[in-house]
Amino acid sequence: MNVAGVKFGGQPGELATVLCGTIFYQGHRIVENEEIGLFDHAAAERLVARQAELSEDTGCPAVLHIYARTHQAFLRYLDFAEEVWEGPFIIDSADSDTRARAASTVSELGYGDRAIYNSLSLATDEAEAQAISESEIDSAIVLAYNPGEPGVEGALRILETGGSVLEKGLIPLARELGIVNLLIDPGVVPMGSGAGASLRFSVVAKARLGLPVGSGIHNAVSAWPWLCKKEIGTRKCCDAAAAAMQLLAAGDYLLYGPIENSDFIFPAAALADILVAEAVRDLDIHPGEGHPLNRLV
Amino acid sequence: MTQEGSNFKRGYDDPWPPVRGDYLVGDPNAGVAVATLASPLFVRAGSDLPPYMGAAIYGPCKTENLGVEKIVANVISNCNIRFLIISGVESKGHLPGNTLLALHRNGIDEQGRIIGSKGAIPFIQNLQPEAIRRFQRQVELIDCIGLEDMEEIERLVSKYNLLAEPYPEEPFLVVRRKAVLQEILMGEGDLFFGANVFMDTRAWQIAISG
Repeated sequence: MNVAGVKFGGQPGELATVLCGTIFYQGHRIVENEEIGLFDHAAAERLVARQAELSEDTGCPAVLHIYARTHQAFLRYLDFAEEVWEGPFIIDSADSDTRARAASTVSELGYGDRAIYNSLSLATDEAEAQAISESEIDSAIVLAYNPGEPGVEGALRILETGGSVLEKGLIPLARELGIVNLLIDPGVVPMGSGAGASLRFSVVAKARLGLPVGSGIHNAVSAWPWLCKKEIGTRKCCDAAAAAMQLLAAGDYLLYGPIENSDFIFPAAALADILVAEAVRDLDIHPGEGHPLNRLV
Repeated sequence: MTQEGSNFKRGYDDPWPPVRGDYLVGDPNAGVAVATLASPLFVRAGSDLPPYMGAAIYGPCKTENLGVEKIVANVISNCNIRFLIISGVESKGHLPGNTLLALHRNGIDEQGRIIGSKGAIPFIQNLQPEAIRRFQRQVELIDCIGLEDMEEIERLVSKYNLLAEPYPEEPFLVVRRKAVLQEILMGEGDLFFGANVFMDTRAWQIAISG
């Protein structure tokens, strides 16, 4: 799978993990007004540049994950991204109308092939589906979160058939809407509510569906009240460990959360990529030149 | 559920609240709980005293599914709580405040979807239907969505505390729904992931059987 030159998927150990850092997320310190999208331009530029630098350094491709509260804010963020970032980017919002309008905007501006829609899910209504269908976006994250049937089997069902909560599976729906590049995401819930199932789901989904899988497993870490009281070094260790576990569990991409975390996530992911690549070295799986195995050791 | 006894008279079992989360516990004998939705906990400036003096429990709720479930589970496990004040700003897209109101008013359908909620994925997955009915009977919701004035919220807590009488039944303890056990058929591999997917560890390959 290729999105604007960045490759996702392959056999474990073949391709470096694609790392997606989020900017302008809810509560991001550099955002001064999330309704209209006012932010510290210089600070944002430094964050994007740092992620790009670490990507170049490690060989793990980067994606810019843009979160916007409103469409007005998204327009400002997109202007910024246009100036400082040439790779693929994810468009995301908690508000379905903002997501739908973002899909339309990136298409009008000719960025449809660089945009990854986040996400197609149980929450996708007719209006949003129509907006995706009418857009030029052909890449999307498909969220397998199925509260009606928790667990791995339920997550597969919502993708394939819709299970008990949708009339149609999200994968056939995505195809109907013109999505060619599907990135599967289990939708990580807090620990105690089944976060670990995301790891097993990743292996199962990749084997069964033949599509790239990944997750925002950092959400399980950040939603752990016990850890919140610990010092930042401890929290970072857990974030890095969770990221590496997702990669060992067949992860092809990682929504690693705040872009500020790039400093420790890229090395952790590179480490995991190297170990996985070495594990399959005698199985005739050869990582490319840019892979961390060939770049860092 | 507990048997009638000292816990029944007190209105809750120890440890209370039974479900962990991002909240603070005040006085478990109080009659009011406060949800602050996406607004951060209000801390009384220059004071070590906790905010919302007199509330049994208070904290944010940012999601329309798991967050709402936790509120229901912790509220119905304490018979003293008869009012739930929903304050603070809504979490955009998720709309947990709207979802709490919809759950209390309409309940859930057969799939667990909260009827009438405008939230993104408003589903109940870990509460039995009786827990929902108990929530509807035990507490009255006070819709103050958007309210962030701490003094006003504290005034409401005091007002409703005076009106609260313990719910005349035992505390309701939510039983976590057990996952359906999957029967795994043995095959050539020796690491099994379910859904007919297994790993042949000798060849270090993931495969699908059947």
